Amino acid sequence: SGEAFNVGQFLEETSPYAWAGTGIGLCIGLSVLGAGWGILVTGSSILGGGVRSPRITTKNLISIIFCEVVAIYGVIIGIVYSAKLQHVPENLLYTPHNYYTGYAIFWGGITVGICNLLCGIAVGITGSTAAIADAADPNLFVKILIVEVFGSIMGLFGLIVGLLMVGAAGDFTAAASVSPHVL
Amino acid sequence: MSVCPPYAPFFGFAGVASAMTLSTVGAAFGTAKAGIGIAGLGAFKPELIMKSLIPVVMAGIIAVYGLVVSVLISGGIKPGDYSLFSGFVHLGAGLACGMTGLAAGYAIGLVGDSCVRAYVREQKVFVGMVLILIFAEVLGLYGLIVALIMNTSAIGGDKCPSQ
Repeated sequence: SGEAFNVGQFLEETSPYAWAGTGIGLCIGLSVLGAGWGILVTGSSILGGGVRSPRITTKNLISIIFCEVVAIYGVIIGIVYSAKLQHVPENLLYTPHNYYTGYAIFWGGITVGICNLLCGIAVGITGSTAAIADAADPNLFVKILIVEVFGSIMGLFGLIVGLLMVGAAGDFTAAASVSPHVL
Repeated sequence: MSVCPPYAPFFGFAGVASAMTLSTVGAAFGTAKAGIGIAGLGAFKPELIMKSLIPVVMAGIIAVYGLVVSVLISGGIKPGDYSLFSGFVHLGAGLACGMTGLAAGYAIGLVGDSCVRAYVREQKVFVGMVLILIFAEVLGLYGLIVALIMNTSAIGGDKCPSQ
């Protein structure tokens, strides 16, 4: 027989655990990628500027902490989501509520991961410019820090949306009885 | 083919995710790009930094648009009682808000960066900068309006047959 392009059949056949696991993995992976990227951009500027102005090295650690907070958001959401992963036998798994939970965790994980990735990069770039401005003139650091605070609220928004998406999603629960494939 | 298949929330949540992530792309780009310009301005004229924070604030507002639409859409996705019609309308609403937020944030970033660098040399460009930034911001507002209209039409959608 030939190929069949049936999106609905694909979505019904894939296990909700596949969706949930992928979401949790992407959530923590992308968040940590954003945090690491931000730290590398900021850290290299701090160390480079610190060659001529060693006084900037301690104060600019705040920028590194802003980047790391993004990774902590990813860890929090990862722990909250994986609390919903309960074991259900294969023949009792495919219920509408389990499908809902699987999709919610998948898209929630992608939302949190990508928002944290972007937030980490933005905070890293602004932290780098704050370090260089601080090396030029110490009074500038606090003013450029305001831009960094605006950058870090995006990670917080991702956390809020990630928590709201799984608000109505219960744990994976077994169906009451063995039923044929859900229509 | 049923009106309320169990895979309908997939598309609804895709709408929520695209609203939040795509508008965050725009907001992050705007914040970072304008922030570079502001740090450059601060090295020469530190007293002008507070007024030149306007592009950064407007980029943050783009992220708030995405947050509002995401929260509204995700409040309407209920397990077990969600039609495919609502799923696709929510996907469209999320994409509308997200893509326009991406474009608006990109414009705010580039305009903010070049305009604050010009502000160092000529103080009279400030009014022009604010006007251009408002026009860029309003693109995101259009996406928000369309997303809200689509969301209200999804509320009055098909009713699911009782389980």
